[in-house]
Amino acid sequence: MIEARDISVAIGGKRIVSHVDFAARPGEVTAIVGPNGSGKTTLLRALTGELSYTGTVSLNGRDLSAMKPVEAATLRAVLPQSTTLSFPFTVREIVRLGLIGGRSGVLPGEDARLPERALARVDLDGFAGRFYQELSGGEQQRVQLARVLCQVWAPVLEGRPRYLFLDEPVSSLDVKHQLIIMNIARDFARRGGGVVAILHDLNLTAMYADRIFVLHRGQLAAAGSPQDVLNDELIEKVFDCRLRVGALPAASVPFVLPQSAA
Amino acid sequence: MAEQSIAGSTGMAMAADSDRSARARLVIALLCLALALCVFLSLTSGASDASAVRVIRDWLTGAVPADAAHAARDQLIVYDIRMPRVLLGVLIGAALSVSGAVMQGLFRNPLADPGLIGVSAGSSLGAVAIIVLGTTWLAPVTLAFGTLALPLAAFFGGLSVTLLLYAIATRQGRTSVATMLLAGLALAALAMALTGILIFMADDRQLRDLTFWQLGSLAGATWPKIGTVGPVIVLALAAMPFLSHGLNALALGEATAGHLGIPVQRLKYTAIVGVSAAVGASVAVSGGIGFIGIVVPHLLRLAIGPDNRYLLPASALLGASLLLLADAVARTIVAPAELPIGIVTAVAGAPFFLWILLRKRGIVDL
Repeated sequence: MIEARDISVAIGGKRIVSHVDFAARPGEVTAIVGPNGSGKTTLLRALTGELSYTGTVSLNGRDLSAMKPVEAATLRAVLPQSTTLSFPFTVREIVRLGLIGGRSGVLPGEDARLPERALARVDLDGFAGRFYQELSGGEQQRVQLARVLCQVWAPVLEGRPRYLFLDEPVSSLDVKHQLIIMNIARDFARRGGGVVAILHDLNLTAMYADRIFVLHRGQLAAAGSPQDVLNDELIEKVFDCRLRVGALPAASVPFVLPQSAA
Repeated sequence: MAEQSIAGSTGMAMAADSDRSARARLVIALLCLALALCVFLSLTSGASDASAVRVIRDWLTGAVPADAAHAARDQLIVYDIRMPRVLLGVLIGAALSVSGAVMQGLFRNPLADPGLIGVSAGSSLGAVAIIVLGTTWLAPVTLAFGTLALPLAAFFGGLSVTLLLYAIATRQGRTSVATMLLAGLALAALAMALTGILIFMADDRQLRDLTFWQLGSLAGATWPKIGTVGPVIVLALAAMPFLSHGLNALALGEATAGHLGIPVQRLKYTAIVGVSAAVGASVAVSGGIGFIGIVVPHLLRLAIGPDNRYLLPASALLGASLLLLADAVARTIVAPAELPIGIVTAVAGAPFFLWILLRKRGIVDL
């Protein structure tokens, strides 16, 4: 269980997130949505201990601020929006970095093969020897996800659930890989871990999230199941856009929803 | 046939997969040999005709040489002049290269160097202050520490710049690399200006000392000096391998390194203190020897990749070898006089540095 109470974050004197309560349960995918600049990433950075915050954050009942980096690294892994490198590392070398601090949770002898397995998982079989800097943005994002997966390969370690924090994990991916990545997140939760993901695509969110936290100007606008949260009033208020939930386009206009995936 | 080709292709994939670490280990083994060769060459070559081989053979076999006076002179040259010089070259070459590699990892920038963020400039200021003011204002210091005064002043000069930088660039427990780079440039400029004032005050004899020292040289190598700076450098170098995992993770950014379980602040602190100790000690005995810290890690990254687990030891070996070669050139090219080694490394290193810059900007594609 990740629990955060009364989280406020100020950067350079400007308050980005104010008085947000947040919770993410193991076994669930928890989505954070909201318009650009609403404080989603800032909230995620507070929850991972990257930014200093007021309020309290606890992981499995333990205060985050009292944890050593390596303890936090065994409990959760974090996928940033994008990662640039200054040195020519290969894909395998990057993915292997996921194994240095935390504990993957596989048998000791299997650690060495884990990077290949993680890469296969994100549909990058055979990319291990390539240079990270030569990959496309979407491929780089999946390499980073493979690294993050290595860090918490087993969703439950010694009886304690572990967590994935994903900041816009599908933002630069084609539709096939969006589904692959979201299914990995879904699967991680199904096996007892917890997932916290910032998402922009409301259809994907409705399909995969168990709970949604909606941020608006740094404050919590709504929280609950997709059925409870995604309605016309909320979308108009938060996104400043008059959209109707569940309305179909005219019969001649094609539309493609992730829910239709076989 | 089909089976064979599948086996063949997996075999190839495996080879390509483990390629870099296997290659890195091979390169490190070769560099060990290269260093041994450079040490041997440096011991056996020089302005005098003393034969290191004969001296060592006599020492090993306990033979009594026929020409005792000649043998004693050779022994003196090999033991008290060439050996400390070679050892100092190895120590300083390794210290400067590893410090460069560590700084580059820390700043996530292949052009970072202790020279760049003012560590060397601070060390120089400390040393120059002792040379110029050692008999007047700073007489109590030279009196109290004797020959140790200069290395100590250089060490504390480097360390104070680094600590000052750290204080400037750290807010709420986090160090901003960009602020640190810029502040480092400013502090380096300030340290150089103060050094300039001291040089302005210096008399003719001090000026000659200063010039030679500022250009860098291994000529002053003696056993007592090695006894002073050797332990500092060895300790600093011994601490660096423990940083390699953390520096690798830092390539992904400070936040991500932290998420991976690296205690980032402690890593930065250890790296900074280690680098200023190694650089301060090096500057104290040999003056400013430039470019080794940039060129060596860069060459090695091309050969074995940026993994610090291999890069740091390989840098130590290649740096030591290259500095010995540079010293051999410095000693022999204008024999019986000798060039300051800093000139040799600058002549070779500066164009290389420009080449890296141009390549990075895509102007030349070599």
